[in-house]
Amino acid sequence: MSYTRKLALRNYIVEIFLLIASLIIIVPLLMMIFGSFMTSSEVLRFKLALPDKWMFSNYTQVFKEGGLGRAFLNGLLITGVSSIVNIITSSAAAFILVRRESKLSSFLYMFFFMGLIAPMSIITTIRVVQWLGFYGSITSVIFIYAALNVAFSVFLYSGFIKSIPRALDEVAFLEGASMLAVFFRIITPLIVPVNATVAIMVFMSVWNDITIPLYFLTDSSDWTMPLSVYNFYGKYSRDWNLIFADLVMTSLPVLVLYLFAQKYIVSGLTAGAVKG
Amino acid sequence: MKTKSLYPYYLIWPALLVYCVFFVLPALIGLFYSFTDWRLDRETLKFIGWDNFKQIFSDKTLILALKNTFIFAIVTVIGKNVLGIALAIGLNMRLKSKNLLRAIFYSPSILSVLVISIVFTPMLRTDGTINKFLEAIGLGVFGQSWLTNPSIVIWTVALVSIWQHTGFQMAIYLAGLQSISKEYYEAATIDGAGVWSTFSKITLPLLLPAININLMLTLIGGLKVFSEVFVLTGGGPGNASQVVGTIILRAFGEGNWGMGTAINTLLFAAVTVISIPLLIFMRRKEVAE
Repeated sequence: MSYTRKLALRNYIVEIFLLIASLIIIVPLLMMIFGSFMTSSEVLRFKLALPDKWMFSNYTQVFKEGGLGRAFLNGLLITGVSSIVNIITSSAAAFILVRRESKLSSFLYMFFFMGLIAPMSIITTIRVVQWLGFYGSITSVIFIYAALNVAFSVFLYSGFIKSIPRALDEVAFLEGASMLAVFFRIITPLIVPVNATVAIMVFMSVWNDITIPLYFLTDSSDWTMPLSVYNFYGKYSRDWNLIFADLVMTSLPVLVLYLFAQKYIVSGLTAGAVKG
Repeated sequence: MKTKSLYPYYLIWPALLVYCVFFVLPALIGLFYSFTDWRLDRETLKFIGWDNFKQIFSDKTLILALKNTFIFAIVTVIGKNVLGIALAIGLNMRLKSKNLLRAIFYSPSILSVLVISIVFTPMLRTDGTINKFLEAIGLGVFGQSWLTNPSIVIWTVALVSIWQHTGFQMAIYLAGLQSISKEYYEAATIDGAGVWSTFSKITLPLLLPAININLMLTLIGGLKVFSEVFVLTGGGPGNASQVVGTIILRAFGEGNWGMGTAINTLLFAAVTVISIPLLIFMRRKEVAE
């Protein structure tokens, strides 16, 4: 057998093996999706099968009873504002940290980097937020998410800004531009791809999180989608069709975002994490 | 002097302020409170030295929680990285369904841990899908009460986490593989190197930056585990699957705040002591290659 044919055969074997292995991922997800259209007795068989009759009404029922409209808007507000705060503050910080080569700036870089490693101290964060007088509010959650994501964002931005030649900003300075003008008119357009990566990463982690709302959102009308789902799951523990419909609806926003933005995730991770 | 004043520090202030107030300050206060008998129902607090820590190490549930946290971290680090590399190598080959397969394996990691945990709950029951499947293919003896057998429950939770997140590790490894020049492989083929020696002499060393970042991410994430356990088992049966994260929630709920922050401080110390030397070691290896 020639070398290329041997190679082709090997690829076939790998491909077949991986296709079979992918069923391990596909089957549970399809069970959730098909199950969300079943009747409450049909779904209890927990088998991978198409529904006998497609119950689209599960979705309208869940949407009304689960209060998902409200939770969707809360989630959008929290993820949106904390991503924006995070993007603006982290990129500005990373810009200065990269450009200034001093002991203080490398110390500050390490100081931010520690945030990637250290676990958050939840109980005392509650205390601090109480002192500031906004415990239990959406505002507190926005700031906490912005703070939690600073480390990773500064890390990604620094890796990327290092690759932008210093000469670009120096020319602008010679022309008499102020630092803010340099940052907003030269650096900001160049880091748009990283902005996209950071926005997506922050959006996904914040949207999917249950820990922070669990501790910090004391009023259920402020809950985000996953926490509402958790509550719904407790209440409707027998109606798996409704639970599955609830899960699908919670997943839809990230799925849509992912479909539009997937190229940024990989390219941003490559630029910031693997090379940085 | 001139270049420094061009880049004034005040642009760092907003990020630094948010980070210090909502992350660093609580951590420092936590360090202080871990040595007190701080409780919800008491306003005055007493400095009690190492008592909280002594109590942690004499409490069977807390020791079990620490042990479970480490089991979870180690199992998931190994599982996510070994499978992640294997998938990445397979999906870096010239396969027809390459893009589709990549998307499939990556997809669970964009969903909430909560969603995946709930989907797995009915599958993991004694009469659940997984046991039925094992029976159908003649491996019924491996059937388990996955979430109610105290001696394996933490492993089950770890497997669900591996199932969900291996695709994310795979994506980083794929990015790493694609930055390796094809010339190395061509040279190796000409020299007649086998599959194993190509892997161990070329792929693995050149993949080190990606391995480094993935080991750090999975290890730190593993030690901070909370949501998986919270949703899948709630720490049960009994206390069999408690981890540090769920113990902190319990201490918080009981108003045992000094104790809760002490456990957090212990977790902080453990993560730092393990990850910083690992980080330094891996960085050095990377440079040496």
